[in-house]
Amino acid sequence: MKLSMDWIKDYVKIPEDLELSRIAYDLTMSTVEVEGITELSKNFSNIIVGVVNEVLPHPNADKLRICKTDIGGGQIKEIVCGGSNLNAGMKVAVACPGAMVRWHGAGEPVEIKISKLRGVESYGMICASSEIGLADLFGATEEATIVDLSAFDATAGTNVAEALDLNDVILEIDNKSLTNRPDLWGHYGIAREISALYNLPLKEFAPFTPKSVPDLEITLEDTERSPRYIGVKIEGLSIKPSPFKIQSRIWRVGMHPINAIVDITNYVMLAIGQPTHAFDSDNIEGHITVRRAKESEKLLLLNGKELSLSANDLVIADDEASVGLAGVMGGSKDSVLPKTTKVILEIANFDSKGIRHTAMRYEVRTEAAIRYEKGIDPERCDIALSLAMQMFADFFPKLSITGFRDSYPKHLKGKEIDVSLDWLEKRLGKHIPNDDIACKLERLGFKVSFDKSNMHVIVPTWRSTGDISIPDDIMEEVARLHGYENFEPTPITTTFGGAINQLDIDIDRKSREYLAIRCGMQEIFTYPWMTDEYVNALFPGNKDMLSLSMPPSPNERYIRSSLLPNLCKAIEGNLRFFNEFAIFESAQVFSNKDFKAVYDKRESLPLQRRNIAGAFVGGSGDVNTLFRKAKGIIHYLPRCVHIEPITFEKVEKPVWADGVVWLGILHGGERIGNLALLSKKASLDCGIKNSAVIIFEIDIDLLKPYPSRTNKFVHLPEYPITEYDISMLFDLSVKWEEIRGVIAGKGGSEDLLRDISFVDEYRGHQVPKGKKSVTIRLVIGSFKKTLTSEEIESYAKTVMKRLQKSFSAELRN
Amino acid sequence: MKDKLDAMLIDGKARIEAAKTVAELQDVKASLLGKQGTLTTILKELPHIDVSLRPEIGKAANVVKENLTAIIESREEEIRLKASEIPPDFDFTVPGVPPLDGALHPITQMCYDLNDTFRSMGFEIFQESDITSELYAFDNLNFVPDHPARESMDTYWLAGHDTERGGKRLCLRPHLTGASVRYLQTHKPPYRFVYPGRVYRNETTDARHERAFFQYEALIVDRDFTFSAGKVMIKSILSKVFGRDVPVRMRVGFFPFVEPGFEIDMGCLVCGGSGCSVCKHVGWIEIMPGGTPHPNVLRAGGLNPDEFTGFYVNIGLDRLVMMRYGVDDVRLFHSADLRFLRQFR
Repeated sequence: MKLSMDWIKDYVKIPEDLELSRIAYDLTMSTVEVEGITELSKNFSNIIVGVVNEVLPHPNADKLRICKTDIGGGQIKEIVCGGSNLNAGMKVAVACPGAMVRWHGAGEPVEIKISKLRGVESYGMICASSEIGLADLFGATEEATIVDLSAFDATAGTNVAEALDLNDVILEIDNKSLTNRPDLWGHYGIAREISALYNLPLKEFAPFTPKSVPDLEITLEDTERSPRYIGVKIEGLSIKPSPFKIQSRIWRVGMHPINAIVDITNYVMLAIGQPTHAFDSDNIEGHITVRRAKESEKLLLLNGKELSLSANDLVIADDEASVGLAGVMGGSKDSVLPKTTKVILEIANFDSKGIRHTAMRYEVRTEAAIRYEKGIDPERCDIALSLAMQMFADFFPKLSITGFRDSYPKHLKGKEIDVSLDWLEKRLGKHIPNDDIACKLERLGFKVSFDKSNMHVIVPTWRSTGDISIPDDIMEEVARLHGYENFEPTPITTTFGGAINQLDIDIDRKSREYLAIRCGMQEIFTYPWMTDEYVNALFPGNKDMLSLSMPPSPNERYIRSSLLPNLCKAIEGNLRFFNEFAIFESAQVFSNKDFKAVYDKRESLPLQRRNIAGAFVGGSGDVNTLFRKAKGIIHYLPRCVHIEPITFEKVEKPVWADGVVWLGILHGGERIGNLALLSKKASLDCGIKNSAVIIFEIDIDLLKPYPSRTNKFVHLPEYPITEYDISMLFDLSVKWEEIRGVIAGKGGSEDLLRDISFVDEYRGHQVPKGKKSVTIRLVIGSFKKTLTSEEIESYAKTVMKRLQKSFSAELRN
Repeated sequence: MKDKLDAMLIDGKARIEAAKTVAELQDVKASLLGKQGTLTTILKELPHIDVSLRPEIGKAANVVKENLTAIIESREEEIRLKASEIPPDFDFTVPGVPPLDGALHPITQMCYDLNDTFRSMGFEIFQESDITSELYAFDNLNFVPDHPARESMDTYWLAGHDTERGGKRLCLRPHLTGASVRYLQTHKPPYRFVYPGRVYRNETTDARHERAFFQYEALIVDRDFTFSAGKVMIKSILSKVFGRDVPVRMRVGFFPFVEPGFEIDMGCLVCGGSGCSVCKHVGWIEIMPGGTPHPNVLRAGGLNPDEFTGFYVNIGLDRLVMMRYGVDDVRLFHSADLRFLRQFR
């Protein structure tokens, strides 16, 4: 919303020493956000009034003239001009060198320089209105019409801004900061805030009282939706422009001046925030009724749009048909036309919700609808009427008022609120004297009285439509007018109630930090919605997922039941730039069943669980390495995250997994996730070619935390321990866990085996077909003595014998 | 002879300093003090001088010997300390092996920084589910029944659950505040907690707008609390994020679930408050809304608003991370693009 400071000053007198930047700052801090401050005159620098003394033909061009122009200070300059309405003695707008103008009213502004036009030097330019942004105020009959300033009392050389009285400043207000303040949608409302901020008197409007005027018949069928309707029939009017000052003000704040009658209605709205409308009464058949529209009733709006209405819409109707969409836009039938001499002026109040729905339904968010939907109070009609009638009387001294009705069955009363002064002081953290509170609130229209420790407040009607209703609202008024900057920050005190111990929160963080920092994986974020292509690739045929009613795009309907589709999408995207990488994501997944009330029995929420999923991506030959990396990371997760151990077991192959390389992840006897190679088919369906992808996904809500660290201290060995590596050939089908089982199993002469570990596995041309070489590290040592090398050898041999016996394993030479 | 000894000392010192290796030094030592060395040669003249002068010369020769021996020893120590068995052409400009190169998402990093700050001030950390109901997203929070935010154009309602009302009309949470009420319902006052999480809005995306973004809510509810104490909370957050004191101002703002409500601005760090294009020439940048929880919200949480009050802020984490690193497109956070994410290792 744009506001003219000049206009605001009609309602509140601003002291000379109060700087505009201060007002803008204080408004931002206490009332509404001022987004911009524009000095209008800046647009007119070096554009001055010139008086054309002589119009001479141009020697080289038929359409151009040479104007000998007085630009003040005794200077007469020759200016080449193609204006069609030029004549000697005319006052024109001259853009002197340095001025910025838009050529033919279009494009970016360009700087005027002294230059030759068809061989004749021209000092600047005589401007058309569109070239200096004045098209709305100086209509042009054709492109070559130049601005005629003859009617203005200004001498040659006067700056155009001064000549036109445009030395004004425009404040740009962020509309979002106004949504809860219906009282601020006009200059008078902002003037009231300024009056309270600086303790300045606010102009009051004398009420309009019609004298012996015949009654105008108006019927309100739905007084909930139309609480008040004032109709004034005015005759003796004509279509003519309104005074320049009025046009200028309407233009300054971004609307278009049209004619005196329409300008009055717009001016009143911009001043008071109360929309008004004028019907050509010749086009009204019979009397006015405000009613609900009939289902499918047709209405042709002023803007040419034809609507098919619903019974939820409120219309203004005459005896024949609807003539306007109440509070939103007038109809074309009743609009003010060039022949109009009689109007019915409507100043009415409509319910905010109805207006908002109607405006949204037909996508006509007019200035009127924007104001009504905020919730305007019906009392405001009075000052709007006062201002409108004053303006009609000024512009049309010979008018007569031939009908009047103010239908207002139920008056709106200001809310009454009691505020405890103790409470107020406690919440403010500061004592503000009663007089100060009262003074500021009264400037805003509140009525305040004190009774011992209580403050009784009567809220003005313009703040009683939802804005202010409880003591906290009053506290906010007091605090904001006092200035939030004037409250010193107070330290926050605390009572110590023991250390914070949140194991579930810690698991989430520790698991992420483990994967990122210890394991070198990169955390990613993806959206909760999934792209169909990836869902189908990983979970073909699955449609049992929650979906959005208005998804971001038609193929992103489903919200995730697994992190994997988006993980695969991220892999596919990154493979364009990287061949090897490891990523993970931790986020919630959603089930389309198990709906239940979690905290509140009125609710029914689906099962939502936090998962963590990761992927190792590498060349298609790297399956072994990638698988061992991923398995190791999950295996060691409990140690770093302080949870019960994790084991692996083949339970049930996930659909997306390779036929061989997959494992279930178990924890506390329950499967909590999967670790597997992404199957070739799923890979290709995801657009992943020539890469191996090892994936895991774990439900971390199922992880069972230890209350603290659980690993135990072990005494350092008293006697030496020896590492002893053996490499043996096994059948390809023999699994490491089987080998380990045989070595660790009972049968040793004395328990000298302290540990067994896998060193590596070799398959290839250096070993016989059908065999693999496995290198095993035995850690051998006694608790009782230092072993001799013979004893160590001999122990290793017994192990080898056992392996020979169990697997027909042979020692590799 | 005395002159010869003095000359030997000066010459000897220079030769010892010039020796580069232990072997060279041994050679120098032998040629000075060895059997065939300079000192021996000089002392051979001793029998030819006056007997009365001999003790003095003998003493002087001993001093020279001790001096040179000491210098040689310290030089040897010096050489050994500097010595290496590695050839001198070892290329120390070859880059170091990088450690494991994983990292947390920059938003997670910011979130954990804030968690650490708040935990140090005694705040709990709260987590809640992404899917919530109209009851918690809107009804409890004082949103009027026909508030525009309830429309599908703003909120992601779930298909098949979008025509119900209240607790059965489900959506991806449009903000975190709804679940804060759950915290109030399930814990005992006074409260002091933070609540990080992702929220969802159905809107058109561009460099500054996202459909999924992160909020960080901090809430204190206590008896006898004044809103001006909230400034302390805000200052703590910003000084942690930016590593220094940042000017803060609270100005009027409207949100249905707070009363009074604030827009909280920080001084523009780009221009230092003098005005630039980043701050739209006002010197301040809007960073978070905040305020005192509305009595109706406290009531929904089971508290008596006459007894309890508090302070709340809701920080846009994406925005804060963008300011911290100068990121100019919010959509990068959900891009999963490693070229972007790896910059924050």
